[in-house]
Order: sequence, then C-alpha cells, then structure tokens
Amino acid sequence: MVLGIMKTVILLLTFAALALCADDFCYKDTQRACSPTSSKLVTGVPNCNAKYGAIDKLQSSLQKYTNELLYRSFDFLLMSTFYGNYIKNRPGFEKLYRTYSDSLWNDGIELIKYIETRGGTMDFSNIPNNILNLENDGSESKPSPKPNWELNEYTSLAKALDLEKELAEDIFKIHLDADSLKPGQHDAEVVHHIEEEFVSKHRDAIRKLSGYTYDLGKLLDTPDASLAVYMFDEFLQNDKY
Amino acid sequence: MKVFGIFVVVCLAFASARLTCEHKTPKIPDDWIDMSSICVKRIRSHVTEELKAAMQYMAMGAHFSKDVVNRPGFAKLFFEAASEEREHAIKLIHYLLMRGQLTSGVSDMIKRNLAPSTIIWSDGASAIRDALQLEASVTKKIRELIKTCEGEPTFNDYHLVDYLTGDFLTEQYEGQRDLAGKLSTLEKLMDSHGALGEFLFDKKLL
Ligand SMILES: [Fe+2]
Ligand SMILES: [Fe+2]
Repeated sequence: MVLGIMKTVILLLTFAALALCADDFCYKDTQRACSPTSSKLVTGVPNCNAKYGAIDKLQSSLQKYTNELLYRSFDFLLMSTFYGNYIKNRPGFEKLYRTYSDSLWNDGIELIKYIETRGGTMDFSNIPNNILNLENDGSESKPSPKPNWELNEYTSLAKALDLEKELAEDIFKIHLDADSLKPGQHDAEVVHHIEEEFVSKHRDAIRKLSGYTYDLGKLLDTPDASLAVYMFDEFLQNDKY
Repeated sequence: MKVFGIFVVVCLAFASARLTCEHKTPKIPDDWIDMSSICVKRIRSHVTEELKAAMQYMAMGAHFSKDVVNRPGFAKLFFEAASEEREHAIKLIHYLLMRGQLTSGVSDMIKRNLAPSTIIWSDGASAIRDALQLEASVTKKIRELIKTCEGEPTFNDYHLVDYLTGDFLTEQYEGQRDLAGKLSTLEKLMDSHGALGEFLFDKKLL
C-alpha cells in the first residue's frame, strides 16, 4: 500500500519534472490541474504563459533600454527646465526638449507594456552603465564626470543629437541580437516591434536635430549672433520648423 | 620665416572663425526673487518625491500587465497615475521657474535613484491599498512643505502656500477619496467571490 503511493508520487514527480523542461505543456498543466488525483500536488499551470521565441534571452536588454528611455526623458526634462528660467528665457528650446522628454517617457511606458505582452517582467533596477554615468573601461567601472544639462543653445542641440543617436544605436544592438539567426536567440516578433516602434522615430529626431545644429551654427557665424539665437528660438516655437 | 607667417595667418583665421556660443548674461534686478532658500530646497526635493511616486505607479502598471496577472484595468489605472505624478513634478518645476528659481543647479535635480521599492502585489486590493498609503505619505510631505514655507520667521510665502494648499492638496484629498472608494467597492465585491469579484472590478476600470 505505502509502496504503491510512493510509486505514484515518484511517477507524478517525474512527470511534473518532464513537463517543466518541455516547452509546450500548458495543455498537460491544465489536464493535471483538472485531474482529481493530482490537482493538489502541483499548483497552478506554470507552462500557460505568454513566453515564446527568445524573450528570455532579450528581456534583460529590453529592461535596460526601458530604463534608458525613462532616465533620458528626465535628462531632457532638465534641459528643458534650464531654458525655462528667466535668464535663459528661450521658450523655443524649452518646448523642443520638453517634446523629447514627453515622447521618451511615453515610449518607456509602451516598452514596459510590450515586455509584459511577451510574457516578460520589468526590472527597474536593471539600469545600463551609460545611464549610471559609469564608464566601462574593461577593468572596472568608474564614475565619469557629472552630467551637465545647463548648456548653451548650440552645444545643447549637439548634446540632444548625441543622445538621440545613442538611443537609436542602442536599440539597433537589441535588434541585432534578436535578428541573429542563432537558434534560441532569433525572435522575429521583437525585430518587427523594434522596427515598427523605434527605428523611424529616432531617424526623424536625428535628422531634425542635425538640421537645427547646422542652421544655428550658420546663424552664429554672423555679426549679430545674439540676435540670431533669439530668432532661432522664435522659429523653434513654431511647429513648422 | 615665410612658413611662420602663414602659420600666424592661419591661426588668426581660426581665431576669428570661432563661433560666439555664449552670449552676455544680462543684469536683471533680483529683488523680485524672494523665495527662501530652505523652501526652494524642499520644493526641489519634492520634485523627486513626485517622480518616485510616478515610478512606483509604473511598477504597479507593469505588475498588472503581466501575462500571469492579466488585470488590464488595474494596469491602465496605475500607468495613468504614473504619468499624472510626473505632471505634478513638472508643475512644481514650472512654479520654481515662475518665481525666478532654477537659474543654476538644474543638472543634479533628478538623480538615478528612482527605482520603485515594491514590485509585486498579491492582488488588486493590496496594490490599491499601497497606492492609498503612498498618496497619504505624499500628502504628509506636502503639509510639511507648507509648514516650512509659511513658517519661515522672516518670510511667509503666501503665494506658494496658497498654490500648494489649493492645487496640490485638493488633488491629494480627491485622489485619496477616489482610491479609498475603489478599495471599498473591491473589498465588498470580493467578500464572498474573491476571484470573480476582482475579475469584474478590473473590467470596470477599463
Ligand atoms: Fe502627486
Ligand atoms: Fe498622486
């Protein structure tokens, strides 16, 4: 009698272990959950999740990228803030950087929703080194100089351009991982999502900022650079520019 | 000699090609800038409090979006709350700008320390309970802020105190009432029909 029960338990445990290593056993999970003999042994239906493809491999870099989006949105908010003070008083620049801040914030929320859609989880402590201001020089991480968001008009445009490029290249890296044809790493859906949501958005921001930097550079190279910056800011307030 | 001459000319050319990027900082009278420094400091750190609340709500939104939690109504409520908290932070920043502040020391106002402390909830009710507690703690901090800014022996900041009382506290009390009401309805729904009650309530939030 006791031996019989033990045999059943061992059998069930082996079965459960097998089910856990397999990849498509939601059906068996639900069967087990409904069966009168074993429903108390294994709780829940662990294999009935939204995971497929390479999300487990890509999740960490997606989390890092989400944090990058959120913290960069705060950086742009600070740049915007600086242009809103009474000494700088450049409503055009204030508006421009606020637009980037808002859009990065919303992208961050959307990326969290996306990670969860794919059965992943968000980790807010998984912050990339470039956001923590750590330079990885191979041996160990050390802090780089403190970020400065109180920049003059011309250099602030350059900074914004660099940041947008960094964001674009960082998502390219995740794209490369997801698109690599190595088995277990390939995930066509992540590739598609990145292309759909990020790639062209960054392209447009980069083009716009490089155009602004070019124009302001030309305008500064005139006898009345101070007036030129005033005019440039007026144009920034206009949605057509 | 000739080479040296050319070198000098080139240098001069470069010197004159330098762009004027920094322009003159105008002299503006500053007697209109009257906020007390301790009050400014407190408001600045409250900006961080609002952003921390934003990230905490964000974590709640993330939790309820999980495939194995699947409560889209709760997720929507919390993601919207996250963006609202960010708006509060921006409102405070705008207030400081209006009062002539934030001409310097802007760069270190938001730090990289906003990761939320709680990231998992046992059910919807416990998350709403946490949200209510979070709001109550923010309300308390706003009250302390008010005390600091009106209690200054030399300068009572009537306008700021009025703004914090009329605008921020109103929003806090209304928000708290809303959360408390939601929690009450949810708990009553779940009294004898736990899982079903939460499922239905979630759909009502959509
Ligand atoms: Fe708030
Ligand atoms: Fe709030």
